[in-house]
Amino acid sequence: MSVDTASVPGQVADAGAEPDLETYLGNPHDPANPVSFPAVLAADERGELLAEGERALDGYGLNAEFVPRALGGRFDRADRLAQVLRAVFRRDTTLGVGYGVTTFIAATPVWTDGTAQQRRWMADLLLRHGKASAGYNELAHGTDFSRAELRARPAGDHYRVTGRKEMVGNLARADAVTLFARTDDRPGSRSHSHLLLDMAALPAEHRRHLRRYRTAGVRGVLLGGLEFTDCPVPSDAVVGEPGGAMETVLRAFQVTRGVLPGMAVGIVDTQLRTVLRFALDRRLYGLPVAELPHARTTLVDGFLDLLIGDCLATVVARALHLLPDQTSVYSAAVKYLVPKLLQEAAHRLSVVLGARSYLRDGPYGIFQKNLRDLLAATLTHASAAVCQATIIPQLPRLAQQGWRSSPPPPPALFRLGDPLPPLDFGALGLSARGVDSLTATLRGYLAEPGAQPAVARLCGLFTAELDRLAEACAELPPRDRTVIAGRRSFDLTDRYATVLAAAACLGVWRHQRDDPFLGDVPWLAAALSRLAGRLGLHPGTAPDGLERHLYTELLARHRDNRGFDLVNRRLAG
Amino acid sequence: MSGTIQDTSVDAIRSWLAGRIAFYLQRSVEEIDHDLPLVEIGLDSVYAMTLSGDVEERYDIEVEPTMAWDHPTVNALAGYLHGVLGSRG
Repeated sequence: MSVDTASVPGQVADAGAEPDLETYLGNPHDPANPVSFPAVLAADERGELLAEGERALDGYGLNAEFVPRALGGRFDRADRLAQVLRAVFRRDTTLGVGYGVTTFIAATPVWTDGTAQQRRWMADLLLRHGKASAGYNELAHGTDFSRAELRARPAGDHYRVTGRKEMVGNLARADAVTLFARTDDRPGSRSHSHLLLDMAALPAEHRRHLRRYRTAGVRGVLLGGLEFTDCPVPSDAVVGEPGGAMETVLRAFQVTRGVLPGMAVGIVDTQLRTVLRFALDRRLYGLPVAELPHARTTLVDGFLDLLIGDCLATVVARALHLLPDQTSVYSAAVKYLVPKLLQEAAHRLSVVLGARSYLRDGPYGIFQKNLRDLLAATLTHASAAVCQATIIPQLPRLAQQGWRSSPPPPPALFRLGDPLPPLDFGALGLSARGVDSLTATLRGYLAEPGAQPAVARLCGLFTAELDRLAEACAELPPRDRTVIAGRRSFDLTDRYATVLAAAACLGVWRHQRDDPFLGDVPWLAAALSRLAGRLGLHPGTAPDGLERHLYTELLARHRDNRGFDLVNRRLAG
Repeated sequence: MSGTIQDTSVDAIRSWLAGRIAFYLQRSVEEIDHDLPLVEIGLDSVYAMTLSGDVEERYDIEVEPTMAWDHPTVNALAGYLHGVLGSRG
C-alpha cells in the first residue's frame, strides 16, 4: 500500500483499530517524510531528538504500547512489544531510546508493585503522552544499586528527599519519575524504596536540574541529572513495601531487559538493508559488490546474526509469560548476548560499505549513526558485564542439575503465532533455582527418533558444550561464583548464552513447520554452525549451495521490501 | 545432598550456615560472627541469594531467594530455618 507521509505527524490513529507503526512512520527515504532518514540524521547532527518524530509517536500513541491492556493500553505480549518498537529502532535509535525505552523502564516497576491507584495514575499519564523517567543511576554507584545514596527520610506524613540522580534520560522534562531512594541507613537489600514522583507537584525550590550529559551515540537523547535538597514527597508515593525496591527491581528489570534486545534487532535490520542496497548498486572489478565472495559471505552472516538474535530475543520475551520462574537467567543472557551479536554484525558489515560507513550524510549516512547508536543501545539499562554478573551466581546450581535434567519447555514458547498467557510480574522468579528448560530442547531433540541427522549432529556439539560447562562451573572457586568473579566466570556466561541462542534457534525451527523458510533446515544448520564457530567448535564444512540459498532469501526479502527478522513483514517505502 | 535427612536442630543449621558463609568468604568458620549482619561481614546481596540456593539443595525445601535479606544474620537465619523445617511435617 502507498503511505501518505504528509499526513503522518500529529495525526491521531483510528480509535479502536490496531494501528501499524511501520506504515505510520512512512517511507524512510522520502525527503518529504518528516521522519525520513535525512531528517533523523539532521536531528542527530544537532544533538536533538527529532521533534517531528516525537510528534509522530505521540500521534501513533506509542506510550500505549507500554501500558497493560487491563489499564487501557496495548501491552499484553512482551514479544509483540519488541516487534512494535523495532519499527522505531529501524528508523531512529535515538527516538527508540529517548522516547520509548526510558518511559518503559520507568513504568515497569509501577506495573510490578504499584497500588491500583499508582498504576492508574501512571497509565493515564502515559496514555496522554506524558514522559516518565527512571531515576536509578548515581554516577558513584552505577548498577550497584544496594549502595545508592539518594535518601528519603520519613518525616510525619511525608518523606524528605536529599541527593542526586545522574545520567538519567528525560529527567529535565519528565512528568513522572520513578525514584530509587534509600529509606533506611542500614546496609543491605531491604533499605531502598521506589518513590513515584509527580514532578508538577514537587516544590521547585527543593530541586535543581543538573547539566545535560553529551554522548557519542544516540546524541539527541536528553540525559540529565536532578539534585534534591530536603524535598518533601508524600508518603503514599512509595511503590510497594517500604524497603522492597531491590526485590521489585529484580522482577521488573527481567521484563525490560528481556524486551530491549528484540527492539534493537531493528537497528541491524536497517544496517543490513543499507549495506545490501550499496552492495547491489556499487560495481567493483566489473561486478556488483554483492557478487564478490567476501561481501556475499558478510551479508549472509549478517542475515544469520539477525535471525539468531531475533530467535533468542523472541523466545526470551515469550518466556516472560510462559517460564517466569526461569527468566532471571534468560533475561540477563539475552541482554548480554544479542546486543553483542548485533554489534559484531554491524562492524563486519561496515567493511563492505567501506569509506561510506564513515560518511555522515548521503544515501548511506544512517549507517554511521546506527553504528554509534548501537553501542548506546547496548549500554542502556545494564551493560554486558552487569548482565554476566547476574548470571554467574546461578551457574553452579544450573550446572549441578539444570543442564542435565530440566523439564522441556511448553511448545508455545517457540510457536510464534500462539497466544500467550498474561505476563504476571509477581510470578517472575528472583532465581531460576537451577532449572533451565530452554537448553533441555537440545537434549530433547537428540532423543527424538525422527531427528534429522545433520541437525542432531549440530545439537550434539551444544549438549557436549553444556557438559563441559557443567564441569567448569562445578569447579569454580567461591569467589568466582559472585559478582566479583574473575575473567573465567565471565567467559563461561558467554559460552552458556551462546548455547541458549542455539536452543532458541532449534526451537523456532521445530515449531515453524508451516513457514517455508523458517521450517526448512538450511538456515538452522547455518545458524547453529555459526554459533558453534563462535564457541571455537568445529561444525564441519557447509554443504554446497547453503550460502546461495540464504542469499537468495535475503535478496528476495530486500526486493519485496520485507524485514530480515523472524517476522519477515512488509516495510514502509 | 538433596533428599537426605539432615539434622535440623538450630545448632546444626547454624554451624552449617557458618560453614557455607566461611566458604564463600574464604575465611575460617571461627571468624564468622553469628550476630553480625551478613552484609557487614562481606556477604553482599547476591551471595545472600546463593545461600538460599544452598539451603534448598541441602534441606530439600523451597525458600525465598531473599531469605537472607529478611533474616540478615547467621542466628536469625538459623532460627528462621529451624522454624520452617520443624513445621514441614
